[in-house]
Amino acid sequence: MLLDLHTHSVASDDSRATVEQYVKWVNVLRRKGKSIDGFVLTEHRQFDHDVDYTSLASDDGIIILKGAELDTDTGHFLVYGISEEITDELDFSDVNMSAQNLVDICDTYGGIAIPAHPGRAGIGFAEYLDSGVTGFETIKSVERLNGSNRPGEGEKAESLIKAKGYLGTGGSDAHIVSAIGICMTSFDKEIKNESDLVQELRNGRFTAVRLES
Amino acid sequence: MKKNLYFEDVEIGDDIGPIKRSVTDEDVIEFVSVREKEITPSRFTSNEVANREGMPEAIVPGPMNIALMSQILTDWSDTVCLLKIDVVFRQTVPHNIDLTFSGIVTDKDETGDSTKLECDVVMENSDGVKLVIGTGVIALPNKP
Repeated sequence: MLLDLHTHSVASDDSRATVEQYVKWVNVLRRKGKSIDGFVLTEHRQFDHDVDYTSLASDDGIIILKGAELDTDTGHFLVYGISEEITDELDFSDVNMSAQNLVDICDTYGGIAIPAHPGRAGIGFAEYLDSGVTGFETIKSVERLNGSNRPGEGEKAESLIKAKGYLGTGGSDAHIVSAIGICMTSFDKEIKNESDLVQELRNGRFTAVRLES
Repeated sequence: MKKNLYFEDVEIGDDIGPIKRSVTDEDVIEFVSVREKEITPSRFTSNEVANREGMPEAIVPGPMNIALMSQILTDWSDTVCLLKIDVVFRQTVPHNIDLTFSGIVTDKDETGDSTKLECDVVMENSDGVKLVIGTGVIALPNKP
């Protein structure tokens, strides 16, 4: 099962794609013979428990899940399996939130936090580890493939993965419609909801993939 | 470049461009001089001022980038009517570098009620880094 684990809709201030447009584009990709089963919306610094894409998703047989991309003191993190407890404990708009606390809160309340584009300068996890930041023993995965990576960022992510023995996810980091699905994560098991996603990410039964050409 | 496209000619997923070009110092001065008869050195026209403001070199003005992004759509066909463009500046755009502008048709009103098309547009540098991204809405005429 192929899911794009990193996408932004117009709910994020720097995106110009609606969720409905993403769904249409996934169908375009499918008509072209590409495989993509769904995507996770990871809006910047926010999470809306009330927004529900069930109807939109089921109409087209596309899995649409919700997560977030948060700014922390150790770079950007993708967060999945966000519960009421997690949003009660953390201020998602805090651009300097403690990443270690984020990881710990997610571990406690059924979510999972994964460093996004870890090779990126300024906002990537690798740079912070290089500068001597320690801890984060429970992190087992980072974003290996990011569709918006700049030259050198993928290589830096690979070095980190090799050095730490991490697993790697994939996501497009789409901010416009046609970018969705460029990078994805292939799961061995079917994912139907956020709980399944967290379970499979924790179990490590996945690989990062690029959209086949 | 194909000219005189009609709504019926276009499918979702059709590529627009790419067009390769660079923006020279002279291009920027010409653009800025439309508003300023006597150009004051700024981050757009002077490397020195740009350096003082923390940038490595002079940059292309935002409105000029928007104009360039619009051009990828309006140059696609003489029949294009640009209705809307909305861009996101991901990185500053330096002068005198190779730029690639491209677009793709992402949606088409197939109900017959309108001849509008939605498109993604992207400006990349030679490393494939997206400097400016955006979306445009254009209209094409129906076939006579």
